[in-house]
Amino acid sequence: MDQPDPAIHQTVRLKIMAALKALPPRDPIEFVRLKAVVGATEGNLGAHITTLEVAGYVDVEKDFVGKRPRTRIALNKKGRRALEDYVAYLRDIIDAPPGI
Amino acid sequence: MPMSPTEAADALREISQTEQRSASAYGYHQSSPHLIMWGVIWAAEYGGYYYYPRHPIIFSALSLAGIVGSFVIGSRSKGKSKSKPEFQWRYAATFVAVIAFISALFVIMPPTRGTQVAAFFPLLVAFAYTQLGIWTNMLRIAVVGVVIGVLTLLGYFYLQPYYLLWLAGVGGGALILGGLWLRSV
Repeated sequence: MDQPDPAIHQTVRLKIMAALKALPPRDPIEFVRLKAVVGATEGNLGAHITTLEVAGYVDVEKDFVGKRPRTRIALNKKGRRALEDYVAYLRDIIDAPPGI
Repeated sequence: MPMSPTEAADALREISQTEQRSASAYGYHQSSPHLIMWGVIWAAEYGGYYYYPRHPIIFSALSLAGIVGSFVIGSRSKGKSKSKPEFQWRYAATFVAVIAFISALFVIMPPTRGTQVAAFFPLLVAFAYTQLGIWTNMLRIAVVGVVIGVLTLLGYFYLQPYYLLWLAGVGGGALILGGLWLRSV
């Protein structure tokens, strides 16, 4: 990877991806819990999740529990691979000899 | 502008810290119903044993209900999960190992008083929670373990006449409050 993935190369989106990757594969997390883990505001988090959804990295499910709306987000295979590639990109930068 | 090695290292650290926070929050969320259920059972067991000491079957029946309850909560949680269940055998093997350990221990060092047995199980639970918390970085669970251990020893040494009631109220209460505390994460 020569250039960082623009969908992930942003602090909040990187945190979202990392938080989702820590869950068992394909397990979703509720929006409110993700907000607490990432430490973002509701509007900010929603906008970044949309960006990741458009990139095809996360799956978003919306339903109701009783009368309460619930949004759940899960990292999919493509997203997991994209994060792994991004981590490899970061490691390459760190491991590169000085002056390159 | 390309990233510098320092920025890349910072980003990796951020990823690692966020993964850790997320994994802990997930673990707390999974553990919370178990703690609350065992808190209620614990309170009923020791309270029942205090008021009906001639019916130790209450203790065994509630313990059995707790074990079944734990499996039900665990399988409901797995049912909600989309990931494939893994390593289920480890739970069963751990359960068998714990039963074997306790049986062997009581054969080699048989307790002479009921209060020793009453203290042993909370201390075992306290030890297990403390280890779980330490090894999984879920520090709140370790705190719950330490609190239960300290309360158990306090009651054992200073509140012998009311020891079972102490374990029922404070031990069960600590588990319930601990479970609610984990849920709040």
